[in-house]
Amino acid sequence: MDKLISILTQLGSGFLTSIALFFLTLIFSIPLGLLVAKGRMSKNIVISSLVRFYISVMRGTPLMLQLLLVYFGPYYLFNINLRNLKLGPIDYRNIAAVIGFSLNYAAYFGEIFRSGIQSMSKGQYEAATVLGFSKTQTYFRIILPQVVKRVLPAVTNEIITLVKDTSLAQAISVIEMFTVAKQISAAQASVIPLFVAGVFYYVFNGLVEIVMNRIEKKMNYYQ
Amino acid sequence: MSVLEMKNIHKSFGSLEVLKGIDLTVEKGEVVAVIGPSGGGKSTLLRCATTLETIDKGEIIIGGDILVTTKDDKAVYCDKKMLQEVRSKFGLVFQGFNLFPHFSVRRNITEALIHVHKKSKEDADQICDQLLTKMGMLDKADSYPCNLSGGQQQRVGIARALATNPDIIFFDEPTSALDPELTAGILKVIRDLAEEKMTMVIVTHEMSFARDVADRIIFMDGGVIVEQGHAKDIINNPKSERTKSFLAGY
Ligand SMILES: Nc1ncnc2c1ncn2[C@@H]1O[C@H](COP(=O)(O)OP(=O)(O)OP(=O)(O)O)[C@@H](O)[C@H]1O
Ligand SMILES: [Mg+2]
Repeated sequence: MDKLISILTQLGSGFLTSIALFFLTLIFSIPLGLLVAKGRMSKNIVISSLVRFYISVMRGTPLMLQLLLVYFGPYYLFNINLRNLKLGPIDYRNIAAVIGFSLNYAAYFGEIFRSGIQSMSKGQYEAATVLGFSKTQTYFRIILPQVVKRVLPAVTNEIITLVKDTSLAQAISVIEMFTVAKQISAAQASVIPLFVAGVFYYVFNGLVEIVMNRIEKKMNYYQ
Repeated sequence: MSVLEMKNIHKSFGSLEVLKGIDLTVEKGEVVAVIGPSGGGKSTLLRCATTLETIDKGEIIIGGDILVTTKDDKAVYCDKKMLQEVRSKFGLVFQGFNLFPHFSVRRNITEALIHVHKKSKEDADQICDQLLTKMGMLDKADSYPCNLSGGQQQRVGIARALATNPDIIFFDEPTSALDPELTAGILKVIRDLAEEKMTMVIVTHEMSFARDVADRIIFMDGGVIVEQGHAKDIINNPKSERTKSFLAGY
């Protein structure tokens, strides 16, 4: 029992790191995803091709590799040493993890948002136009709220994947929960820490599902 | 004073010329019905008047505001600010309603009043209540479009178009998406508006309605106005062969 409590407390700090990575990624990647969707649909061929290329790279290469590139890239490519950068308890590896995850997830969210935006009927835009709504008003008042409802199931999928993907941050030695679990497991020659970590992820995703279901229900007031 | 002036309107989609020099003037209080075979350009004409399509050549003036003129054989549109001004002068009722599904009936009607026309919530609600009372739908103010029948949805569509107190309302086949038993209700609403001297342009396939309600009927085919005149004359004594054969189908 004492052993379990000690495992839990040790995992605790790793868990906080995982959660922080999770929320920061969502906070940055969702608005970025909207920009990606906009860029991908841009009439400007240069912009849309660039964004298309960006998406294909983000989806076509391993996230772990992207993390390594964000972390080591500045030094090896431009000889900029950020690795000693420290902001309080946060060092560059944490920042690199957030940047890497956000860039990667923005690509996936971007494609989800694009499919949602493109599924909107022309009639919605036309009704808004003749009523005098500006482009911005039309987007934020008429289009986006409906898109949110349409893309929610796909977004939930992505969020659940993200919970598990946070463990990839160990590639650049971020001390997230899975890293800690492996360390304790090796030190104690026991699989229990790994098992506990698994329960953490499982429960976390259970919560994600509950929250997302709530939001989906809330939006069920119209078809 | 004419509420709508469209002069020598030309519009092509690629190499397909859909409007070939249309002239249409609508006086205040006048009800004009536009009839004609499918593909004749009726919707396109309405879409050009309501800023949803841009014309290639011609002139459009709505409520005294110049939407577009022609210089050196090319259409020149007004600036953004004027465009908003023009859009406040007309309303458009769609065949497929195009209500905002995520808004209640009330918000469908008041959203533009509040956020485009900068009316207070109270004023907007008052306008909304008046219109819904007129449509016999006050009890549905808090419903969502998905819970309304097609006929009720189109009433909301009409109320939404009326809310900003436009000088003219355009209808593009307002009853074509409705079951026959719901059509009569919508036609009644439009008839009532005609009696209140609302200026209207209505694209319709309801010939008896056009004859009874419209002051003038315009028969369009192949991108031109083939024939126009007093509603009863056009329906009962069409002059052109094309009009005759079209009407024979009804
Ligand atoms: N956006 C567009 N792009 C290309 N062609 C178009 C477009 N909109 C309309 N057209 C074409 O223009 C012509 C006129 O169409 P329009 O919809 O104005 O006809 P209509 O008289 O309203 O017909 P209906 O009675 O079937 O509604 C048709 O040949 C149509 O295919
Ligand atoms: Mg049409």
